[in-house]
Amino acid sequence: MPDFPTPSHRLHRRWRRLRDRLAAGTIRAGGLGVIVAVLAIGVFLAVEVVPLFAPARVTTEASRDLEGTGAAVGLVPTAAGDVLVIDRDGGYRRIAPGADAIDAARIPAERLDGRSVTGLSAGPDALVLALSGGEVLRVPRRAEARPDGPGTRRYTLFAGETIAALASAGDGERWWLAGRDAAGRVAVLRGDGEAVERFVLPDAASALALDPDGRLVLGDGHELAVWSLAAGEPRRLGRLPVLPDDRRITALSYLSGGETLLVGDSRGGVHRWLDRHDDAEPLLAAPDYAVSGDSTAVTRLVPVPGRRLAVALHADGGLALYQALNGRVWQGAPAAAESPLALAVSADGRRLWWLAADGLKTLTLAAGHAEVSWRTLWTPVLYEGHMQPRQRWQANVSSPESEAHFGLAPLAWGTLKAAFWALVFAVPLALAAAVHTAAYMGPALRARVRPALELMESLPGVVIGFVAGLVLAPWVDRHLAGSLLLLVVLPVGTLVAGMLQARLPAVARRCLPLAAAGLWLVPWLALLAWLSFSVSPLIEGWLFAGDLPGWLKDRWGLDYASRNALIVGLAMGFAVIPTIYALAEDALSDVPRSLDEGAQALGATRWQALTRVWLPAAGPGIFSAVMIGAGRAVGETMIVLMATGNTAIFGVSPFEGLRSIAANLAIELPEAAVGGSHYRVLFLSALVLFVFTFCVNTLAELVRQRLRRRWRRLGAVG
Amino acid sequence: MKRWRTSGEGGWPWLAAGGVAVSLLMVVALLMLIAGRGLAHFWPASLERVTLADGAVIAGEPVRHVTTRDGRDEWLYRTGNRDLDGRTWRWLEAGDIVSRTRPGDLLELQRERWGPFIGRLVAVREADTTVIDATAGSARRWQALETRLARARALRETIETRRRETIAPLARQLAAGTASAEQRAAFERARDALTGLREALARDSLVLESVDGRRLEQPLATVLDAWRPNAMGTLDKLGLWGRRVWAFLSEGPRSANGSDGVWPAIFGTVLLVLLMSLLVTPFGVLAAVYLHEVARQGPVTRAVRIAVRNLAGVPSIVYGVFGLGVFVYGIGGTLDRWFFSEALPSPTFGTGGLLWAALTLALLTLPVVIVATEEGLARIPDHQREGALALGATHYETLTRVVLPMAMPAMLTGVILAVARAAGEVAPLMLVGVAKLAPQLPVDGEFPYLHLDGKFMHLGYHIYNLGFQSADAEQALPLVYATALLLVAVIVVLNLTAIFLRHHLRQRHRALRH
Repeated sequence: MPDFPTPSHRLHRRWRRLRDRLAAGTIRAGGLGVIVAVLAIGVFLAVEVVPLFAPARVTTEASRDLEGTGAAVGLVPTAAGDVLVIDRDGGYRRIAPGADAIDAARIPAERLDGRSVTGLSAGPDALVLALSGGEVLRVPRRAEARPDGPGTRRYTLFAGETIAALASAGDGERWWLAGRDAAGRVAVLRGDGEAVERFVLPDAASALALDPDGRLVLGDGHELAVWSLAAGEPRRLGRLPVLPDDRRITALSYLSGGETLLVGDSRGGVHRWLDRHDDAEPLLAAPDYAVSGDSTAVTRLVPVPGRRLAVALHADGGLALYQALNGRVWQGAPAAAESPLALAVSADGRRLWWLAADGLKTLTLAAGHAEVSWRTLWTPVLYEGHMQPRQRWQANVSSPESEAHFGLAPLAWGTLKAAFWALVFAVPLALAAAVHTAAYMGPALRARVRPALELMESLPGVVIGFVAGLVLAPWVDRHLAGSLLLLVVLPVGTLVAGMLQARLPAVARRCLPLAAAGLWLVPWLALLAWLSFSVSPLIEGWLFAGDLPGWLKDRWGLDYASRNALIVGLAMGFAVIPTIYALAEDALSDVPRSLDEGAQALGATRWQALTRVWLPAAGPGIFSAVMIGAGRAVGETMIVLMATGNTAIFGVSPFEGLRSIAANLAIELPEAAVGGSHYRVLFLSALVLFVFTFCVNTLAELVRQRLRRRWRRLGAVG
Repeated sequence: MKRWRTSGEGGWPWLAAGGVAVSLLMVVALLMLIAGRGLAHFWPASLERVTLADGAVIAGEPVRHVTTRDGRDEWLYRTGNRDLDGRTWRWLEAGDIVSRTRPGDLLELQRERWGPFIGRLVAVREADTTVIDATAGSARRWQALETRLARARALRETIETRRRETIAPLARQLAAGTASAEQRAAFERARDALTGLREALARDSLVLESVDGRRLEQPLATVLDAWRPNAMGTLDKLGLWGRRVWAFLSEGPRSANGSDGVWPAIFGTVLLVLLMSLLVTPFGVLAAVYLHEVARQGPVTRAVRIAVRNLAGVPSIVYGVFGLGVFVYGIGGTLDRWFFSEALPSPTFGTGGLLWAALTLALLTLPVVIVATEEGLARIPDHQREGALALGATHYETLTRVVLPMAMPAMLTGVILAVARAAGEVAPLMLVGVAKLAPQLPVDGEFPYLHLDGKFMHLGYHIYNLGFQSADAEQALPLVYATALLLVAVIVVLNLTAIFLRHHLRQRHRALRH
């Protein structure tokens, strides 16, 4: 269009310029936005993971003046998140956190019978009040935890003595109650329905703790005495020194679940002991925490409900948080000048109440992910119910009574094991195929075979996984000998075919050339495979008494699981062969022809030129092909999910199952509670997967690009 | 041996050739296995009447012959009749089998409940009176069954159409409270008519007898299909095979982990992939155009390019994790708090759904589209751009009139490759919203027609679910094969299209360069 400076043309030109600028802006913004969004994946995963490693903290939330707290004897947290302050005279006040809603009531006088309250123990099944004169008032727990609810009974624990400490446990029908007086004598009540028995134990105690199965632990000096109160007369299971001679036991507490016993000593150390469920040796020492400090004595240990976590109070009023596996995760200065009258943790484990003479302090416990640390994720840890430190992954726990095991090592191991066996299968096959295609095959055949093998790549993992898990695994299970025989028969059969071909008359040889061997070997190998499956029962019967898996177990101690690492390796190998093949073949064909021709002109055979010239030249490219294949094998989800039993086993045997990070994510993430430790650990595993594959791929890509530049300098690649 | 060494180059080249052969063998074996088993499932196999050594008689279809490791020969029979026997499968030792015959009057019924029935037809009853009894010949009984079955089928179809086209819209209006008195009356009438049709459907029943002589009465309304495989010719069988394949493709699954019908899964897969390509194409092309045409080429661009390329190698499950964290819990949770707070705590968008799945897959395939489009852009000779600019076109005009049209096949290839990859991905979907059973399609006649928050079924997940979560794995296996075949077919077709397009594109550019 001729361009005249008429007004309309000027307008049009301005419009065009505007449009151009607008488009450039849009493309720039949109393109950058998309790229940033895609790259944000890693950042987002990291953001979700960071809170996992945030240090635990206890902070003062509020401090409320209360009148007459000097007369208070204890705190009872309720399921609703409130706390009851119980006074000596039987009066109690309900206090909601952060609010002023206070209602007050009093235990009926006839229940107390003129006695005063001297102490209490708030267990999960019952609230027990110690009354003056050695009496106790046991209140079965209801939702609102009122200290005068229905079913309240009064019992005598010590006739006339004052109860200095109480512990209680039980499971509804059966319950136990243990107390000591100021002189250290111990008396026990055992209830079974309506029947209640009282025992006095011959041991003295400075601290005591009860687990939900009726096991009583008494601390006396530097020794622990363990009693079984489960049935019949109380039995002492053992007495063992748990501390060096210069320390004394000053506090004892079972953590939630009743399997882990924390022992606080007179010099500020806290030690972990595990129930062994073995009457001869009742307790198992866990390795000492890294910080088992040298400060003032631990005077109180308060377990956090539903967590393997406890608050330790020191004699100087200092607080510390202990996690069963990780030891001390936080330590802080005293929250108030004087040591508290009572200390209690709310039912949800988020709040700590500190009752002092001048009021009630509320502290926030921020230790949401204290179970998880770099050490518990990757190194063996002594879990409850085990004798040795183990690497375990068992994140789905049915109840707070059982401990979650967050060990990522078995999953990482499973991932690498699956990838390793996949590469063991895929690399030789893919590289052999690439070498043959690049060096021996004619261009016409190559143009057919390459797409056929590339099509293999697009077979969805779920299809391969289903065939591997539901068809191949049972088949190999029944024909293990034949399948292993195949590993020998196929290469030998190929060589035999080559030898036979060389003996054929020239005409026949021309019909079956090496260049087309990739095709005409297919029926030959299929025949051999069929033969080896037919004769394998004979061989199995002759060598292994007809039962190879049984032989493996007897001879080598290998358990044969039908969905095992080898099946995964085979299936995933099948999935990565095309990736490795295509990239390696590219690398080989990119090598300048002149190198090959030069070598052959100097008298090298095809194979010699290939091994001495081509392969070294294409080496980095082949390396990057293998790396990319490894990246794909590491992240493949459905095949591993379907072709293994998904058992997180930490073993080397190729006949065991495994569980990979990717499969674990697919199984567990939809059920994990948002923001919980489990959720974040799963995100961490996804981040590990992301970083690993990203690094592997980047390395491979850099190698490939350098190689390409080198060939471009040689003027080979167009 | 010597001749081998001198004439050729020893054994190594042969081993290399073996690599190709083994790979090809595996592909062919896998495809044949899936295709064979998947298609054979619908073939009406012959039924056998088996007499055992202890005098018991059973009827069923021989499915598999297995030699166990301790040398026993065993046959697996599909015997059906779960309501009579409490099981559908029988393992029989070959040694126990005395005789096997194929009587022509053995029939198989497909029923709404209790799975298939295998046995004989004794009588046909109509409204509690026996119309055709055992004295009539087996051929006449069969004929009666066929005509009545055709009638029942027609009635069922009428009921379905009525319900869908007349009753459902009226019911919606009634529920919304916007119906006029006239419509109310129409609804009553339609409902009465439907009741009449149902009664007509319930008229007939069959008296059946298993081969060991136990009888049961089966209402014809609950019989979906019937055939006598032993009396059928090949053509008849082919017809039935076609009908069953069609039913498999066009019907929904009848029970949670049960049999038949993948239509909702096909629909879900296609819809998901469509939505995904709608999302991925503009963004992928935009990013590629930015990277190749707008951004200044330098180390940063190169690094970004490598990073984008590598993202294609990041495991798909990681994208699923990202989708769950960002789309479902992040954006979805926020949307719920803002717009759907009245429905909380039951989530609307804060749970896996179609939209989030499509977005996740779009993200997953974005690198594929970017890389393919960039390759296409790089293939366009610079003189084309320079020519356009020299003629006075702005950059925008060069882009839209010259560069993008020329890069179109490359973009198309990229999108098709993306679609092929997305269609086969299952792992991320398990996190962001695929459902085991969602017979309700996410598209219907109700506003807003396309339910982006709805759960959907997917062929790939259907395979996993059928094969690994169903109660009767033996029964599910053939369906898994058939579903797998369908999925593979879809993906292979998409890939072949991409390969063809790429080939076409290369030809064209070869022509351009000269």
